[in-house]
Amino acid sequence: MKKRLIAALALLVTVLSVRAWAHHSFAAEYDINKPVTLKGTVTKVDWINPHVYLHLDVKDAAGKVTAWALTTYSPASLRRIGATRANFGQGQAVTVLAYHAKDGSNLAFLRRMTFADGHTVELWIGDENAKAP
Amino acid sequence: MSVPRSFSALVVALALLARSTSAQEPVTTPRTADGHVDVNGIWGAAALPPPVNPNDSIKFLFPVPGVHPESKDVFHGFDNRQVEARAAAPNKPEYKAEHLERVKYLSDRQGVLDPAFHCRPQGVPRMGPPSQIVQTPGQVVFLYGASNLFRVIPTDGRPHRADADPSYMGDSVGRFDGNTLIVDVTNFIEDTWLGSDGYFHSENLHVVERFTRNGDTLTYAVTVEDPSVFARPWVIAPRDLKLSKNPADALVEAPPCIEQDSGHIMTLDHH
Repeated sequence: MKKRLIAALALLVTVLSVRAWAHHSFAAEYDINKPVTLKGTVTKVDWINPHVYLHLDVKDAAGKVTAWALTTYSPASLRRIGATRANFGQGQAVTVLAYHAKDGSNLAFLRRMTFADGHTVELWIGDENAKAP
Repeated sequence: MSVPRSFSALVVALALLARSTSAQEPVTTPRTADGHVDVNGIWGAAALPPPVNPNDSIKFLFPVPGVHPESKDVFHGFDNRQVEARAAAPNKPEYKAEHLERVKYLSDRQGVLDPAFHCRPQGVPRMGPPSQIVQTPGQVVFLYGASNLFRVIPTDGRPHRADADPSYMGDSVGRFDGNTLIVDVTNFIEDTWLGSDGYFHSENLHVVERFTRNGDTLTYAVTVEDPSVFARPWVIAPRDLKLSKNPADALVEAPPCIEQDSGHIMTLDHH
């Protein structure tokens, strides 16, 4: 318990008062009109700037494996909401909702991961009080 | 009964008096052994929530007022939020008329041309104030926790170096003036931008940073001069940074910046 408290205290500092790295536009890279649902195994959580990447092996009915890359927010912005690398399920089977890259490559913007036990990680954009489309 | 009541009234009156007196007293601003204002410490850090248990759900919506999560406008809304925030900034660099076209050209292509997008150091002053300052007699060391960068700044009165190549963070010399550390920065590489909106500069960029300590607050004020491209010096709105008091606080290594998006950028949407 004491050890856990110390670990929590040690993590109290964030150093981001300005953005450390510049981001590109999401709209320039991902297509909101092309949601994709992928079932696969998280082979790697790449905890890097300016965006965290997840690598997913997706197996089709014939057993053919296709590697996908999924991107999300920066490590610092994820940490600010309490999300760490451990929340992204390296080695686990997941179902993912994401938005496909406009260039058609196996790259997508992550919206929601659903784990085998039913818990979810959703990192998205918007205002639930706004008028639904 | 009346004695305790008047006694407690006296205590309250004394407490109020003490509070009003202390509010008027100048706050204590510590000094180092050599008599300069003490700027040591982690400044401007924000408290973080405890990590979410790996088996617990997380739901986070980046706030974009007026845009529903199921709207097709979420990506544009996210981009516009940043653009609008910068547009509302109180002061911006003012360029000479002959450079406005270039600023616009660069700004319109920010998503591919901004050097910081390619993980190059943002440089001074775009990188903001240091996360931690380490002060020793004759020098201060600035540590930037978000980017693993540092600056070593002499404060012993020596002039700028004459033998250094131009660099992202330039060549800095510091001096103390009362409660203020003043850092003069020159010899910048031309490759940095001063902001996301195409704010380029020339090799004549000259930055003066002022760190003024008042109690446990450090005010970071910056003046940027570039007589080759600016119509007048750019005075950036000062920011107050609070001293981190938790003895457990420490800078940790930031994840590296590895840019993988540029090959997938299909439009010139501004962010």
